[in-house]
Amino acid sequence: MANPRALDKRRRSVRNIRKITRTMELIATARFKKAMDRAHAATAYTERMTQLVRDLAQSGAEVKHPLLAGRTETKNATLLVLTANRGLCGGYNGNVIRAAYERWTQLKAEVPKTTLEVSGKRGITGFSYRGQKPDERFTHFDDKPSFEEVEVIAARYLDAYAAGTLDRLDVAYMKFINVARQTPVVETLLPLGSLSVEAGPAKKGQAAEAQGQQTGKKGEVQYEFLPSAESILQEVVPASFKVKLFKCFLDAAVSEQVARMVAMKGATENAGELIKQLSMTYNRARQGRITGELLEVMGGVEALNK
Amino acid sequence: MATATATKNMGQVTQVIGSTFDAEFPEDALPAIYNAVKIVSDHKGVKLNLTGEVQQHLGGGRVRCVALGSTDGMMRGQDVIDTGKPVTVPVGKATLGRVFNLLGDPVDGRGPVVADDYWPIHRQSPPVTELSTSTELFETGIKVIDLLTPFVRGGKAGLFGGAGLGKTVILTELIARIASAHGGYSVFAGVGERTREGTDLWLEMQEAKIGDTGRSVIEQTCMVFGQMNEPPGSRLRVALSALTMAEYFRDTTGADTLLFVDNIFRFSQAGSEVSALLGRMPSAVGYQPTLATEMGALQERICSTNRGAITSVQAVYVPADDPTDPAPATAFGQLDAFIYLERAISEKGIYPAVDPLASSSRVLDPQYVGERHYNVARRVQRTLQRYRELQDIIAILGVEELSEEDKLVVHRARRIERFLSQPFLVAEVFTGKPGEITKLSDTIRSFEEICDGKWDHLSEQAFMYVGPIEQAEEQQKKLAARG
Repeated sequence: MANPRALDKRRRSVRNIRKITRTMELIATARFKKAMDRAHAATAYTERMTQLVRDLAQSGAEVKHPLLAGRTETKNATLLVLTANRGLCGGYNGNVIRAAYERWTQLKAEVPKTTLEVSGKRGITGFSYRGQKPDERFTHFDDKPSFEEVEVIAARYLDAYAAGTLDRLDVAYMKFINVARQTPVVETLLPLGSLSVEAGPAKKGQAAEAQGQQTGKKGEVQYEFLPSAESILQEVVPASFKVKLFKCFLDAAVSEQVARMVAMKGATENAGELIKQLSMTYNRARQGRITGELLEVMGGVEALNK
Repeated sequence: MATATATKNMGQVTQVIGSTFDAEFPEDALPAIYNAVKIVSDHKGVKLNLTGEVQQHLGGGRVRCVALGSTDGMMRGQDVIDTGKPVTVPVGKATLGRVFNLLGDPVDGRGPVVADDYWPIHRQSPPVTELSTSTELFETGIKVIDLLTPFVRGGKAGLFGGAGLGKTVILTELIARIASAHGGYSVFAGVGERTREGTDLWLEMQEAKIGDTGRSVIEQTCMVFGQMNEPPGSRLRVALSALTMAEYFRDTTGADTLLFVDNIFRFSQAGSEVSALLGRMPSAVGYQPTLATEMGALQERICSTNRGAITSVQAVYVPADDPTDPAPATAFGQLDAFIYLERAISEKGIYPAVDPLASSSRVLDPQYVGERHYNVARRVQRTLQRYRELQDIIAILGVEELSEEDKLVVHRARRIERFLSQPFLVAEVFTGKPGEITKLSDTIRSFEEICDGKWDHLSEQAFMYVGPIEQAEEQQKKLAARG
């Protein structure tokens, strides 16, 4: 039987761990709510924006924008990976890194020049461990990514795309579906057209119905461009991209908090189990010692009395 | 009291206390300590033929003896005959193939044994000048033992473990592996264990053949039993009887002799049973105060000298899985190789349930086993040690929270843990897998490759109950084929 003192020490350390995990769970819960609200607010806007661009693109043949047009040849590709700065959130980081790494090796094989950009310390170390040094790293995005910060990155991509030094942009992040489900995804954000086609007509139809726009043929919206289609697209298309990228950051932030919440809840429970087990072993060891000592004293007395 | 017919070395029983008794002798003819005394009587149809051993001189002509058999039917006033010498047992070739009790009487029903020589069971341990100092490895073909707790030829190995962890199975396995490949003599001492196991072993030895010679193992073996049903005095001395027979082979024939003892703890236990009856004050945890002395006297005799070697494997029961209990703790210090069986490992279904971190061997040193073997063994232990340290974190936070390096350590440690299992020859009927004898070179290579990460891609299940690593690969294919 183990030493009761060692057992007690171990039990105390597990108790401390439990205190920490419980606190982290509570914090994650609070942060999750906030992040969730932000993401929720952005969702409606992003969807409308995407729809608008899609509708515009389909409304007339005269609409043309470089961001919407795919490149015939992909020479330069960038992979942006969104991970957390901190751990203790279960498989969150691991899953994103695994999904991203798969795409990265694929990209490397297909595209002559690839750039790796990673946000979050965990992702940076994760890729470094796999022997891939990120070309660009961001660690300033926390649970509240601001639009201004994301816009800087987005603007850089747009410039690069326009200049022809970037042909394809992939973003790997944890997509937030609902509280119980988040899945790691790798989406191609640039060229913009690739995504809108993927999104499919079903969603468009739904959105249209929800808006009550059932005039004319289904999904066909009549637009009047003022002053001109080009000038509006000039504004809307880049904005749509920025919003989409921002949405990725928001999703990642929400997912991180959910993951942490769930992981910490599990950890707290596990710690409780462990404490229970340790307490039982400790009590048994302690009682065993007491019994042993009592027996020895009594045996000694008996022997002396003879 | 002495009658006309009484010889000088005759006394009377004055007191019977459980399995000990007092006898009174004439003051000038006291039997010496450790002398055997005999009581033979037939009183009102109760036949008694008891041998006792003098333990103490109480003063006033009285001696206190331990009965080496049942004291049922003893009465005060019965005549006690001093034999003038300690218990003697037959030794030499006549004992081979036979089964004895501690008094040297055959119990296998094959008639009396006529030996050329009889030796007393109490003897001096060999002087230091005669002890052999050579250190040679003893390959068993069991991966975990060969790698982490290599046996020494002419050394002592202990199998420690709580109830039901497979001590006897490993011991039987070792007999099957070593004795069948071994040219010398073997002696088996059954001390306070189940009689059934003794019978099983006896039958098994008759079937097992030595190499290709066609002779069965039993022809080179003698067995001495004092099992659970015997009174404590018998269990206390049976190990000595067996040891004496082994010593004879060592000293006169010079052959390598094997001594198997199952279970040395019962020896201490029997000592503690009679200790209080002899009037000694109990010591720690109720054991006899002379625990270390008794154990030392026995263990020091099990050794290799210039004339011959005794290689001994002993099973040691660990009460309540507590290795700090005085009985296993005193045995521990006497051994060259220390194999500790762990309940947590047997619960995972990994047999032999050897704890790779608690077990150790004196010869696991680059000086004896070589640089490569030593390094591989240490790497395996380091990996498993790290895994054990991480166990709490994994239990609370899960594997995902570990750093990449630690994840790899856990990944390999889990495979190593399973790879330490091995199918046994004697367990073939239970597992349905033929026993696996793995060469030491294969063992070292296999573990080295696992540590190097060459087999990271195999599933954990593939590592269970295989020999060298190539079999794990085959098993993986089989598992995959089954879906």
